[in-house]
Amino acid sequence: MSGGPPKGLPSTGPHSLLDMPHPLAGSSSEEAVGGDSTPSPDLLMARSFGDKDLILPNGGTPAGTSSPASSSSLLNRLQLDDDIDGETRDLFVTVDDPKKHVCTMETYITYRITTKSTRVEFDLPEYSVRRRYQDFDWLRNKLEESQPTHLIPPLPEKFVVKGVVDRFSEEFVETRRKALDKFLKRITDHPVLSFNEHFNVFLTAKDLNAYKKQGMALLTRVGESVKHVTGGYKLRSRPLEFAAVGDYLDTFALKLGTIDRIAQRIIKEEIEYLVELREYGPVYSTWSALEGELTEPLEGVSACIGNCSTALEELTDDMTEDFLPVLREYILYSDSMKSVLKKRDQVQAEYEAKLEAVALRKEDRPKVPADVERCQDRMECFNADLKADMERWQNNKRQDFRQLLMGMADKNIQYYEKCLMAWESIIPLLQEKQEAK
Amino acid sequence: MTENNFWLKKIEINVSEAEKRTGRNAMNMQETYTAYLIETRSVEHTDGQSVLTDSLWRRYSEFELLRNYLLVYYPHIVVPPLPEKRAEFVWHKLSADNMDPDFVERRRIGLENFLLRVASHPILCRDKIFYLFLTQEGNWKETVNETGFQLKADSRLKALNATFRVKNPDKRFTELKHYSDELQSVISHLLRVRARVADRLYGVYKVHGNYGRVFSEWSAIEKEMGDGLQSAGHHMDVYASSIDDILEDEEHYADQLKEYLFYAEALRAVCRKHELMQYDLEMAAQDLASKKQQCEELATGTVRTFSLKGMTTKLFGQETPEQREARIKVLEEQISEGEQQLKSKNLEGREFVKNAWADIERFKEQKNHDLKEALISYAVMQISMCKKGIQVWTNAKECFSKM
Repeated sequence: MSGGPPKGLPSTGPHSLLDMPHPLAGSSSEEAVGGDSTPSPDLLMARSFGDKDLILPNGGTPAGTSSPASSSSLLNRLQLDDDIDGETRDLFVTVDDPKKHVCTMETYITYRITTKSTRVEFDLPEYSVRRRYQDFDWLRNKLEESQPTHLIPPLPEKFVVKGVVDRFSEEFVETRRKALDKFLKRITDHPVLSFNEHFNVFLTAKDLNAYKKQGMALLTRVGESVKHVTGGYKLRSRPLEFAAVGDYLDTFALKLGTIDRIAQRIIKEEIEYLVELREYGPVYSTWSALEGELTEPLEGVSACIGNCSTALEELTDDMTEDFLPVLREYILYSDSMKSVLKKRDQVQAEYEAKLEAVALRKEDRPKVPADVERCQDRMECFNADLKADMERWQNNKRQDFRQLLMGMADKNIQYYEKCLMAWESIIPLLQEKQEAK
Repeated sequence: MTENNFWLKKIEINVSEAEKRTGRNAMNMQETYTAYLIETRSVEHTDGQSVLTDSLWRRYSEFELLRNYLLVYYPHIVVPPLPEKRAEFVWHKLSADNMDPDFVERRRIGLENFLLRVASHPILCRDKIFYLFLTQEGNWKETVNETGFQLKADSRLKALNATFRVKNPDKRFTELKHYSDELQSVISHLLRVRARVADRLYGVYKVHGNYGRVFSEWSAIEKEMGDGLQSAGHHMDVYASSIDDILEDEEHYADQLKEYLFYAEALRAVCRKHELMQYDLEMAAQDLASKKQQCEELATGTVRTFSLKGMTTKLFGQETPEQREARIKVLEEQISEGEQQLKSKNLEGREFVKNAWADIERFKEQKNHDLKEALISYAVMQISMCKKGIQVWTNAKECFSKM
């Protein structure tokens, strides 16, 4: 479960996207796109994912079609509505019910995805489909391709590095299920990503593989257009909001890595402590068999230590299943953020290169060439989208970590409370006056 | 406090100080040792005020001498044990060094406990050498040695594993010896595992200290989250450092167990003594029976038992009737002596069994009481540790909630 609706940016406003007047229909001061120029049709085309040929299962216009300008000004509009909370949410997605499928070629797990929505982009109010990890991976790649200016949430690791872990064990599947659920919920909460058509198909299509095959043949133009700038050209200066973020993310990832190592070490020490406790308790039992009057007290102590051992095992299991995976997810998340920032830098570099090239030509042109303008627009849209995503990411991060760390404290408190109860309950037993034999 | 023949009043004993000393040993080599100050106070009946009557310094080896003396002169008593000579069952953080201040401190407490045990024992407290141990600093060693107790000591008692085929031991002692062996084994095991448990627990707590550092570093790059992280980190440091006191308290529990580990040894010694006495008795009876038979054979002329005299007679010729008479007479004297000895040995044996069993019953009561108290105090320690844990994590949780 994700940590509740993020502050300031609800998943959608009270109106559906299509009801709102197109921000580009008239000059609007709210536009994040700089300048008075209207984006050319080319730009719009570039943004339409080239998917107009696709027959979408729910018919109608692809839900994700929107110009970059419209998405950012939409965000601006939505940002003003700070007090919109989860109650006005119109899209709910849940991942549950993992099932194992054994086929001749392979064995794998599928999860049930349940969607409830009142959005017009969905034909039916409710959907239930089954998806496997591959499908999630596909979705993420599609989102990265189709929404390169946005930060896409991370998926849990594809491969299990530590060979000892059983891919089909209850614990592993449950940990993965939680991560996949979080992944979809983060997309659901995103005002732009949640309207992405691939996302819609993922949630609704009966046969996802057929849809996948169609999409594979097409190359996205946006992906092509972000060309790699040859080394040597440096950025003049990054906009303020992006300047510090790179360094912050580096340090952040470092600290998270350290916390991950500490948490792992603690679990390891606790497990070794548990091993000793499991030998310690029974010795009291052995002793109690030798005694007469002390039999019950010693047996009581043995049972008590047994209870504490069980409580400790529960603590280590919880930390392994709930704490570590979420921590690791955030390391992946900040890696994603860094790569999106790099892309943004490239777009800016490309724009500046083109600008420089124009200046060098020394032509007496009053107007900036169209392709340079396109570049500028692309850059400024990217900046707007990314800025919004970064703020959302910061807010989510704060909530998620507050919840994660409070959870860790809670688990420890519960462990000590269980032990306390065990020891307090044997005090009367120990103090009991036994009848003389 | 205890009643005592010599003081005629209740007394208090304290081993109040420990001091490092250097001196010369028996081989005139310099050595370092620790001396302990023993203060004895007698308590006035009327107003309960105590007056310092004696104060002297003793070292560990003198305690040992006292105990060895008591073992010899009171073989039917379960003699209280001394604290361990060297630190054993140590978990890694504790020093195994005899000069380490913590070890010395625990030994001081152990020695005081030993003296209190002896002073409160109904029989041992009346011993003169014990009285002199507390009151006569100089010359005490010589006084003890003059008793010649070392000569009286049965060296066979030291040979723990030597078996003596005893035909009719008192079954209660056989069972008790078995029990004492088992008790030693189980308490040793317990102490070993407990030391490992302490080691691991130490590790768990200390690693949490790393959270303190990393939260502090992380808080430096955060805006709103910073304060919460920083203060939570502080609580993690508190948590990590709390283990030192917790484990120090637990050492006291380990010491209580150790005392009974060593007590089991003393219990075994009493059972062993019975075994040896019974063995001696049976040997004496056997010897007497064989002498009687020899006598009979000589008197009647039939040779059934082997004797060297018989062999030589066969080889070198019969002995004269006078010679035979002489031998019979000697044997009859020996038999008479033997019968006396057997009677007194029997009496001794029965006395021993009666007295020893009385002390064993007393010891059993004491053991059950003390160990129950030890378990209770251990449970109390665990409860305190849990409460501290809940406190710290609750504080940390509050800090996290403010992130």
